[in-house]
Amino acid sequence: MISFSQREKKWIPYLLFLPALIYLAGFIGYPLVKTLQLAFISEKGKVGIENFITLSQDSTFWKALKNTLYLLIAIVPLQVILAFLLALFVDGRFKGYMTVLYIICIPLALSDVSAALMSYNIFTSHGFLNKFLMKFGFIDVPIYFFGLGLSSRAFWVIVLTELWRATPLVFVILLASLQVISKDYFEAADVFGFSSWQKFFHITLPLTMPSLQSALLIRTLFSFQIFGVVWLLSGRDIPILAGEVYYQQAELSNFRLAATYGFIIALICIIISWAYITLLKTKHLEV
Amino acid sequence: MFRRFIAVLVITLLLTLPVFAGEALNFASTQMVPAAEQIFAKSVLLKGFADESGINVEFIPMEYPDLFTRLSAEVFAQKVTISLVGELHGGLDLMNTKVLLDDLSGITLPNRTFIKALEDYSVLAGKKVYVPWMQATYVMAVNKKAFQYLPAGLKVEDVTGASEKWTYDALLNWSKNLNDALKGPKLGFPMGPKGLWHRFLHGYIYPSFTGYQAAAFDSLRAVKLWEYLKELRPYMHPSSSVWESMDEPLLKEEVLIAWDHTARVKNAVIEKPEDFAIVPSPRGPQGRGYITVAVGLAIPVGAPQKDNAVKLIDYLTSPDIQVKMLENIGFFPTIKEAEGVIPEGALKILATGVLSQSGSPDSVIAMIPSLGAKGGEFSAAYRDAFTKIVIEGADTETTIISIADKLRAIFKEIGVPLL
Repeated sequence: MISFSQREKKWIPYLLFLPALIYLAGFIGYPLVKTLQLAFISEKGKVGIENFITLSQDSTFWKALKNTLYLLIAIVPLQVILAFLLALFVDGRFKGYMTVLYIICIPLALSDVSAALMSYNIFTSHGFLNKFLMKFGFIDVPIYFFGLGLSSRAFWVIVLTELWRATPLVFVILLASLQVISKDYFEAADVFGFSSWQKFFHITLPLTMPSLQSALLIRTLFSFQIFGVVWLLSGRDIPILAGEVYYQQAELSNFRLAATYGFIIALICIIISWAYITLLKTKHLEV
Repeated sequence: MFRRFIAVLVITLLLTLPVFAGEALNFASTQMVPAAEQIFAKSVLLKGFADESGINVEFIPMEYPDLFTRLSAEVFAQKVTISLVGELHGGLDLMNTKVLLDDLSGITLPNRTFIKALEDYSVLAGKKVYVPWMQATYVMAVNKKAFQYLPAGLKVEDVTGASEKWTYDALLNWSKNLNDALKGPKLGFPMGPKGLWHRFLHGYIYPSFTGYQAAAFDSLRAVKLWEYLKELRPYMHPSSSVWESMDEPLLKEEVLIAWDHTARVKNAVIEKPEDFAIVPSPRGPQGRGYITVAVGLAIPVGAPQKDNAVKLIDYLTSPDIQVKMLENIGFFPTIKEAEGVIPEGALKILATGVLSQSGSPDSVIAMIPSLGAKGGEFSAAYRDAFTKIVIEGADTETTIISIADKLRAIFKEIGVPLL
């Protein structure tokens, strides 16, 4: 048994997290600093906002920003509502609810690329959906859901794919939150004659608010990372911020503009996180 | 406790022994990067070499910018670890201008007759920079069902034999016939982010209409080219914008005519050799523009295993291996001795199409320009022009004038003459 002096004991916690700190500093901190450096240094080596000016003059940047925000607006609220409804449904603990739970959670095991490929096989002109509709005589010629000049249709296919792929994550968070609500509250509500709606708005919703906040935050931030699904289903027909980072870095080898895109994504994420934490702050956690 | 320590020590030694067994020859290549091709390179191609020569090879698939950066750093630091480089002509040309590659004029490879044009290309400013390794091009793959809908006056032989009648206007009429008869567009291009659509624009249609890849980007002839593409647009399959290679859409019969790299239509021909014909690209007012892709093997300055690298070059350019590469990755041989070894079937079909294209008298050959890290911007310029003019309906003249300025700036910055 090794014994430590009081002075040594004081240092043990710091020594224990030192490896993690070194890892974070080396693999996250350093690249982060380099990214910042790249974003604020122009091609001619001048420090300033030249890269940001270049981006602001590029119509693709504004399209990418607009599309990313549109996707966020279309996906996140739908996802949260759907996940909440599913969580309430499964929380009813009916017979066979575990099977339903597993089925809902299947997409959690899928990567975005797999989900996009499955979606492609459903919606392509020779896909399952068109074959089904043609076989039963609903249509004569295939419907094109994505492709040249069809970006608005492709947008909704992407929304649908993301809803299917990522809703289970929100669902799991909300279900866990619902399952820890004490039944005593509902029994008390019954005694006072609360309706189902009143129970939902006065008990369920306030008590799941912290989890809802986390789920909203995670999904919103993840929306800025949507890449594979958009890339596979629309190419660059629907430019998005994360896609442009990859495009600038991998295809054009323009590291400065890629870093500038990355910085802008990070900045937006920080602002949104701050807004969520401030605006959705729960005031009634302690009784 | 002691026994356990000895056991751990023995296992560790056994696991690390291969590391000390002899340093492998590092072969960095921008070719054979897709997973299936890497498997072929490692477990067939280079394993065969190791069995034959006893020299282990570490195959390092890389993207060009990474390879260029790494090799520049290694040569600059005089700590070169790469002994052999496999790259496109353009990339090797650029590496040579930065004095990263050795002169290979002293190397003799017995019983090899390299195709003269490729041999000539491999000598840059009097220096033998690389040994031609493999070649490829881009062709049109046609499902034979499409031949039923050929426009009036155009015969199958005109298309397969690259006659004067096989023009871009003929392609437009043919695509229209297919669209009308089969109730949907049946012409496809690989326009996905990783597809090679930009090669069609700069290496095929631009030289065919203007005689140049970039030098006449904003000419009056180019305006006609864009008007043509606008006319062709309704007959292009919409899903083209997500396709990265055309073999799958051809096999699923989503399209009946497709343009792509030979390696990217090869699977369709191999799977259904009876169904497909490989035909030359059409001709435009200035001739039949097409790209020849030459891939070379070069040895970096200060390579640690130069002698072994020469042995590997000898192996990789031998007739049997050249045919094996054609069979597995769809690149065509660079030595005449291999021509007689190509077996009948799908490969012959591919080779016939390629030879018909390269043998056409109205050829306007385009080489992919050596723009290094700016290559992406060059490709993006053509893709952007298509998106803006044909998809978004922007004014043709204004758009091509502004993009032409960007293109000229790229060529000027790299110091490469405008093609």
